[in-house]
Amino acid sequence: MAAATTAKSPGSVPAEKEQRFYFDVKWVIILAIVAFLVIFEVLPMLYLVIRAFTADGGVSFHAFQRVYTYPMNWMALKNTLITATCSMILGVIIAFPLAWLVGRTNLYGKKFFRTLFVTTYMVPPYVGAMAWLRLLNPSVGTLNVFLKNLLHLAENPFNIYTVGGLVWVLTSFYYPYAFITISRAMEKMDPSLEEASKISGASPLKTLWTITLPMMAPSIVAAALLVFVSAGSCYGIPSIIGAPGQVHTVTTRIIDFVSIGNQDGITDATTLAVFLMVIANVVLYVSNFVVGKKQYITVSGKSTRPNIVDLGRWRIPITILVILFATVVVLIPFASVATTSFTKNLGKPLLSFADGKLVTDNFVLRFWERVVTRESILQSAGRSVLYAALAASFGIIVSCVMAYLLQRTNVRGKSIPDFLITLGSGTPSVVIALGLIMTMSGRFIINIYNTMWIMIVAYMVKYLLMGMRTVVSAMSQIHPSLEEASLISGASWLRSFKDVTIPLIAPSVVAGWFLIFMPCFYELTMSTLLYSTYTKTLGIELFTYQTFHSQQTAAALATVILLLVIAANWLLNKLTNGEFSI
Amino acid sequence: MSTITISNVTKAFGDVVVLKEFDQVFQDKEFITLLGPSGCGKTTMLRMIAGFERPTSGEISIDGRVVSSDKTFVPPEKRDIGMVFQSYAVWPHMNVFDNVAYPLKIKKLDKATIKQKVEWILEAVHLSQYADRMPNQLSGGQQQRVALGRALVAEPKLLLLDEPLSNLDAKLRESMRFEIKEIQKNFGISVVYVTHDQSEAMAMSDRVIVINRGVIQQIGTPIEIYRNPANQFVADFLGKINFVKGEVKDGRIELTGLGQSLPYDGPRTGKVVVAIRPENIHLSLDSGDLEGRISSMFYMGDVNDCRVDINGVQIRVIADSHSYDKLYGNEKIFLNIQEFLVYEDDGSDEHTKIVT
Repeated sequence: MAAATTAKSPGSVPAEKEQRFYFDVKWVIILAIVAFLVIFEVLPMLYLVIRAFTADGGVSFHAFQRVYTYPMNWMALKNTLITATCSMILGVIIAFPLAWLVGRTNLYGKKFFRTLFVTTYMVPPYVGAMAWLRLLNPSVGTLNVFLKNLLHLAENPFNIYTVGGLVWVLTSFYYPYAFITISRAMEKMDPSLEEASKISGASPLKTLWTITLPMMAPSIVAAALLVFVSAGSCYGIPSIIGAPGQVHTVTTRIIDFVSIGNQDGITDATTLAVFLMVIANVVLYVSNFVVGKKQYITVSGKSTRPNIVDLGRWRIPITILVILFATVVVLIPFASVATTSFTKNLGKPLLSFADGKLVTDNFVLRFWERVVTRESILQSAGRSVLYAALAASFGIIVSCVMAYLLQRTNVRGKSIPDFLITLGSGTPSVVIALGLIMTMSGRFIINIYNTMWIMIVAYMVKYLLMGMRTVVSAMSQIHPSLEEASLISGASWLRSFKDVTIPLIAPSVVAGWFLIFMPCFYELTMSTLLYSTYTKTLGIELFTYQTFHSQQTAAALATVILLLVIAANWLLNKLTNGEFSI
Repeated sequence: MSTITISNVTKAFGDVVVLKEFDQVFQDKEFITLLGPSGCGKTTMLRMIAGFERPTSGEISIDGRVVSSDKTFVPPEKRDIGMVFQSYAVWPHMNVFDNVAYPLKIKKLDKATIKQKVEWILEAVHLSQYADRMPNQLSGGQQQRVALGRALVAEPKLLLLDEPLSNLDAKLRESMRFEIKEIQKNFGISVVYVTHDQSEAMAMSDRVIVINRGVIQQIGTPIEIYRNPANQFVADFLGKINFVKGEVKDGRIELTGLGQSLPYDGPRTGKVVVAIRPENIHLSLDSGDLEGRISSMFYMGDVNDCRVDINGVQIRVIADSHSYDKLYGNEKIFLNIQEFLVYEDDGSDEHTKIVT
């Protein structure tokens, strides 16, 4: 016995020593990611808060007093809260029935509608604003005029330049957020939970009310909060719709203050941004840590096909209703943007009939010609591709590593970068950009202001989560033993990751890349604050044309973006055999 | 009274026919098990009885009332059936009491009656002290009891169970078998039970319906289907079995490849397949019907699991566990065949494999 012990110990001691000096590459990687996020996300946000309270040198509330005694700012606050709340309520009221109809009933064309609603998610919101501006302009809006003539009204029925108009456009562009969240939760729900209710004697409606709806409640709340924050921190829509009618929101006020450029302007912007940030962070906290905790995880033994509710004699009427909705919310706006790009005089219809002949002199290709030939537009487009590609590539590397850390290891501290990435995505774009301007222009050693890097960093902070979620969920589907088999064969951690994990998650990695790339490619809000003469991007170019020069050129650019979204979606579908689409 | 009459039911999903011309009457208070490998159509049959699927053709009636046919269809909520799902389907947003009380609330019973009935049923499934718990605070076995309680509380005449024990661990599964059987007797209800586990079927059923590829293979009591399997599939699916090809000649069966024969006075002639259950072979050092060499023995505690080599063909024998010591070290061995079955050799090799 004693001999056995002595024989064993000489062998084990060096092994322990080796362990002690073992260099754990995971820690270095976590540290690198955390450092990046602390420098470019936490520091700027903290600085904003500190700056808001110490504008006059000492700790004070002067900045707050000044900003919030100014009536226009109060209006902006009120407008933001009203529009965000209304869009949230409307968005959920629209999204829940749609998600249920598409996921759980025998609605005609379910697959098509699903793709359609999900695709709108990827369309930049300002395109919607441009479209509705054209359609419901109080004097010449196409739809307004059409409805006036159709219903023989005395005047145009709608005015888009109002709080109501803003709510409408925000809702029509943010309800897909709720639709996607609710649909996913509905897919995950074990269908036998509903079957159990039916066999207990409950009618389909009773089942929906007592089982499906309560089970979905946490997801519905999460979806609602997502719409609230997205609508509240949106800049593109209120700046296009709100500005002409003097309907200001917090985001437009912040950007106005920044463009004033002086010290007071910056202070006022900071103070408003802190307000927006606090709201967003509270919402993020509630939806992740309060509602998230209540999420019911149901493990299904075997996957039975979800029970499809027969709509019976309502099948055709409801399908028609959904078609009508899709036409008004998706088809008409997109078509309107496309036709605008060919229209010479926006006061006149694109094509008209006179003396029984088709009049085409209002149809021109000049704006398309401009889009494909003008040097500045092409340069901006090139830059957008480059910046978005860089942000997506760096982002997807971080996403892959994070997915591995979260799903495969028990390294302490892995939840810190996860939390920071979630925080970044939940922070309004204006806040991120403003924070970066104020901290990254040399005040704290780093000076990347006016370079492309400040934009790439901003894009990453905001959109990393989209990529990370995709890769994480793919990773959770792959059994760890596949990687363990590689480790036991002698491959290092990095080597196993490269040889086994990456090939298996490749489709989701591609999908994740696109999910970061697309919103960066047409990003507007952060770019507006961060661009310089030599780093102008496509979003800025489009916005400038829309507000100052030519709506038609902007429409042509928007059409290009729309086509790109559809193409990317199609490509992704092909590449991953239908497993992923945006 | 709860008689289920299934007449000529066929079910197809698109072009795939999962169940062919199922025709059967389940008697009142009978415990019927639908047994078969996964994908054989047994769950589909159960879901058609429940009303979650509609037959492509054929008719189902419960107690003389037609519930599914070409013309009529009674939805599940109008069928007064209790059902336990494989995933239990216990609602995570309701506590144990509310889960179990749900069918009674749907029936709009008054509060006092509901309370009384729920308490009575929780007693029956041994969950009385858990009434206020949420499902995520319960173990798998307890959730299973909640599902059972919920299925029984409205006192249905018919209880459907869809592989209810497959997610439980082995020990619990075994004790639940007897509990379910006990409950069925006490409540005096009809049960249709779906499983792929033959020992579950054997332990609980009055009658077992063995299904393969959508077609009924055999219907009978557990003893009948085990002792007299109608075909090679049933013989193979229930328990363990050795298949050996042979030919009937002059009152004996010449076993192909073994160079030996067994006495036979049955009706079959020509080419046959002999099926021998491993536990129906007795090993002897002195004499027997067949002779071979022991190629391996595994001491399993309750039995001695042996492989005997007869002229290159492996025969599995399950012997008394004490035989391990007696036979250890011996090579040459005699086999006494207690009981065997003879099937016509239809030329297919599907079941004529040596079970190892």
